[in-house]
Amino acid sequence: MRNLRFCSNGSALCGITLLLSLILPPGVAGAVDVIANKSVAVDSLSLASARAIFGMRQVKWPDGTPIRVFVLPDDHVLHGAVCKERLNIFPYQLRQSWDRLVYSGMAQAPSEAMSEEELLNKVAATPGAIGYVRKVKANDPVKILNVE
Amino acid sequence: MLNKWRLCLFWGAAFWSLSASAQELAEGVQAHGFLSQSVVRTSDNNVGGNSDDELASDLRELGVNLSWRPNPDWLISGQALARWAGETDEGSLRLDYGFVDRTLYNSGEAQIGVRLGKIKNPYGFFNTTRDVAQTRPGVIMPQSIYLDQVRNFFLAAPGISLYGNADSDQGALSWQVSAMRPEVDDVDLEYMTFLRDLPGKFAGRNSWLGQVMLDRDGGRWRMGVSLGEMNMRYQPGRSPPLDLLGGTHRLPTWVLSVQHNSEDWTYTAEYAQTQVIARDYGSAFEDNTIESGYLQATRRFADSWQGYLRYDVLYLDRDDRNGMQFASPLPGAPPAHSRFAKDWVVGVRRDLDRLALSAEIHHVDGTAWLARVDNPVAGLVRKWDMLLLQAAWRF
Repeated sequence: MRNLRFCSNGSALCGITLLLSLILPPGVAGAVDVIANKSVAVDSLSLASARAIFGMRQVKWPDGTPIRVFVLPDDHVLHGAVCKERLNIFPYQLRQSWDRLVYSGMAQAPSEAMSEEELLNKVAATPGAIGYVRKVKANDPVKILNVE
Repeated sequence: MLNKWRLCLFWGAAFWSLSASAQELAEGVQAHGFLSQSVVRTSDNNVGGNSDDELASDLRELGVNLSWRPNPDWLISGQALARWAGETDEGSLRLDYGFVDRTLYNSGEAQIGVRLGKIKNPYGFFNTTRDVAQTRPGVIMPQSIYLDQVRNFFLAAPGISLYGNADSDQGALSWQVSAMRPEVDDVDLEYMTFLRDLPGKFAGRNSWLGQVMLDRDGGRWRMGVSLGEMNMRYQPGRSPPLDLLGGTHRLPTWVLSVQHNSEDWTYTAEYAQTQVIARDYGSAFEDNTIESGYLQATRRFADSWQGYLRYDVLYLDRDDRNGMQFASPLPGAPPAHSRFAKDWVVGVRRDLDRLALSAEIHHVDGTAWLARVDNPVAGLVRKWDMLLLQAAWRF
């Protein structure tokens, strides 16, 4: 039922997300993939690490490269999906935690892309970038990061 | 006229800053900001100007910050703030914070670092961003713990701070310890401490504040303890009997913070005690303990609507909660109800992207947190109501 809340935008994508989540068992559905620039030297992230990265607390990869976080607007269906399915956190909490950091000077904000396509292009073009898309296609110029 | 002129200047500056609101100015450089405007009407007493049976609009905030991360181990940030709140704050531009942050240790899931400069003080859930309307739990802060009259004392101070974060699959632990010298040269604090504006002034002394915050299960439970001791010294401006002798105030303080978050509901509770220990001064001040706390339930509805209910209590002396021992029959003496405030708040908020619109109604018994500068003792009314409307923007 939780996916129903994602559908406030009324897009067809919502219907598909809902359908997939009904057909496939939870955890396998994977309506959203965490992606990274191909230069990133890791292939998987722990849940803690993924939360620390999207929470803007962890700012560099193990090899020292700066992490660049790209996200979609708060009310975007995919943003809701990555928060709940991959990070296990509510989108409003991620926003509160960013605002606490940004307006006290303790960290910088993630970069916002206006569409999924723009986000994919930015992650592909920016060394050290991380983001998320609905499903990575075979020829997309990014790599998938498994969040475990 | 002057007010209208100021209002134009404020909104002019606001829109100018918003027109340049590109967040990423250059590689590693970001700009963000916020502004808010509130109107307030009270049945009695004054908040944010002359609000007693009138509409007061002297409640505004405008802030712009810049941050630069030249590489992952360094961060330089600063924020300029202008704030208007009745007679207590009249929009002077100041440095809200400005510091250099150096990461000393980074293992991926854990970081330790140090900050040097003017740093926001961790105190409860909300102190570090109390001037950013979107981050507050309502239109105004719960006044019990985040008393506006002592905001500058607790808000930010020049000093040094050691901090750390550790993320595990179960939760995230963050901590910060700051040593600082608070900025205390405002008249509100003299009213809070001496009940009047004296010729001399306070100066900050070495103080410290620390906080540990635990986010369990992705923040479904958030629990924190803040504690420290804020210190200041009063330097008289005149000789007795026109002024007090010099003296010191120590304020050991702690706050317990608990929050539960679910998809639709957030429950927040905070409880604090602050001792007020005065020494010297040539006249006897009795030590006392300020006790405060609030409970709030927030419900999120569809289309970015939310509603909330809060009960907020402040006792300026926990051993004299009703103020009867404090009250004096002498004419012009502050009444017993100036020692407590019990505040029921109900509010709604709607978020439209970066804009937040809020409305909130208060039903208050007591006058402890009203600004004395805006509220002469003779005009204080014990039971009063307040309506607040607010529009807030951030980028």
